[in-house]
Amino acid sequence: MDPHISPQSAIETSSTAMPSEAPLLMAAWAVFRKDVRSELRTRYALNAILLFAVSTVVAMSMGMGPLTVSRNADLPIIQAALLWVAILFAAFTGLARAFVQEEEARTAAALRLSARPTAVFLGKLLFNLALLLLLVAVTTTLFIIMLRVQAGNPGLLAALLLAGSLGLVAATTLIAAIIARASVKGALFAVLSFPLLAPLLVVAIQGSANAIAGRGWESGVGSLQVLAGYTIALFTASLFLFNSVWEP
Amino acid sequence: MSDRLRLDQAAKFLLGVWMSGIVVAMFLIVPQYVGLGDAGRIIILHVPTAWITTVAFAVSAVYSIRYLWKRRPADDAGAVAAAEAGFLFCALATVSGMWFANIVWGTPWNWDPRETTILILLLIYAAYFALRSALDDVERRRRLAAVYNLFAAVTMPFLLFVAPRMADSTLHPNCAFIQGSHCDGIWLELNGTRIGQLGDVVLALQGVEQRGDLAVAQVEVRMPGLREVALLEPSFELASGKPADRPEFPGQQFLLAVEGVDLANGRVLLNMEAPGSGLLSNSRTFWTFMAANIGFLGLFIWLYRLRADVLLLQERLARREAAYELPA
Repeated sequence: MDPHISPQSAIETSSTAMPSEAPLLMAAWAVFRKDVRSELRTRYALNAILLFAVSTVVAMSMGMGPLTVSRNADLPIIQAALLWVAILFAAFTGLARAFVQEEEARTAAALRLSARPTAVFLGKLLFNLALLLLLVAVTTTLFIIMLRVQAGNPGLLAALLLAGSLGLVAATTLIAAIIARASVKGALFAVLSFPLLAPLLVVAIQGSANAIAGRGWESGVGSLQVLAGYTIALFTASLFLFNSVWEP
Repeated sequence: MSDRLRLDQAAKFLLGVWMSGIVVAMFLIVPQYVGLGDAGRIIILHVPTAWITTVAFAVSAVYSIRYLWKRRPADDAGAVAAAEAGFLFCALATVSGMWFANIVWGTPWNWDPRETTILILLLIYAAYFALRSALDDVERRRRLAAVYNLFAAVTMPFLLFVAPRMADSTLHPNCAFIQGSHCDGIWLELNGTRIGQLGDVVLALQGVEQRGDLAVAQVEVRMPGLREVALLEPSFELASGKPADRPEFPGQQFLLAVEGVDLANGRVLLNMEAPGSGLLSNSRTFWTFMAANIGFLGLFIWLYRLRADVLLLQERLARREAAYELPA
């Protein structure tokens, strides 16, 4: 199939033929582009998570004022914990959107007809990842400016934020698909996701604290390995389980 | 059928007698443990319930796999029933543990690795029930709950790996089951590495000498929150090769023990013990503990099978009601 084909026509052509005929990654890319396009039209999730992130950081900054190392020896871990909590809760507000919106607009059935479940999952995963990376970039920048965080090892911090985001998305995309079918969607998403994200959160916070404190890469390698393992395990499990979730 | 019923009755009766025996043994047969007093008896109740919690989680996950595979309502009923019984045991283990910790360790909660894992397990169970109650369609509820159950099971190994990193040491005895905690102790040498660290305590070996059949080590202890340096003298029984006198760290419930001595080279193996280590080396305690494990396992099996039967019966009634179109 022509890679430059528009997502609408990609879905149309594949729905007239057997859905499984489109190559998997191409179909996933089409789902991703469809989501990006519809998100850019409504900007619902974008507005929600970005404003949520901004208000969280502003609230923290207002509440604490600038913290300085001389006043608190545990500063790196406090800052890392606050940063990840802000990211986590902003993610809870926005990441369920990809699937919830399909149910609310009653377009899920059409999507089921036009793409294989795995393609849908990969497309949504990609979309959530893009959304989360944007969120992480905005939150971290604001955090560094407003709370006067001095990241001692910015490279390690960036690597941990990226690895943490990958894990977060791998864990929450399947949950988003689950809660899209339930009746109290918003609250349920956080309730179901948090226990699964606990290990990720602990590792990411500890690693980020090391990065903020300016320790070397060797202090963060363990955290990165755990995050990578977590991401791979949950991603694989999601691929196996998504078919059961996506059944009508 | 009536034979099975009679067997069930007999098993139930036996379980009742067995559990009462355990409760009696917990107070009459199990000896008091030095340093813990009567609080040490909790091992008979607390450890089996915590253990059953994990068993229940695994049973529930296996039923969930079977449900997704064969789509039989009975498997889903098994998964729910195991999760509900597991939740009950999980709550019991958490509350009894917090109670014990408050008495012995001085605080009900301190993010000890096992406390972390059991809390997350409690949250997972709660989330599982919340999800079930939020889905109206029966078939979809079963399917999605099974998926969530399995997805949660995938994260558990990471939790077991991560939790020990949250605290440097564990207050729970028998830490050999927990990865990453300092169970092995440290060797300090008079003519080499004299200073070492256990958790957040810094130890400095000052001397080792033989007094009768005891080897006594002088150890300087520095720890956060302690202004002065304390000198402790743990000792080691040379004949039996076991720690003799275990002094307490000042202001804490931990004990300092000498677990090995090399007098010729002035080397000493030092370790930190939580009170209650070696609790099971007493044979009376050990056998009561084992009996309690079996008893609680029986209790769990009885509970979850009963609950699964009730769930299936409920569903059959609902289906019959629908068939006859009875008014609700």
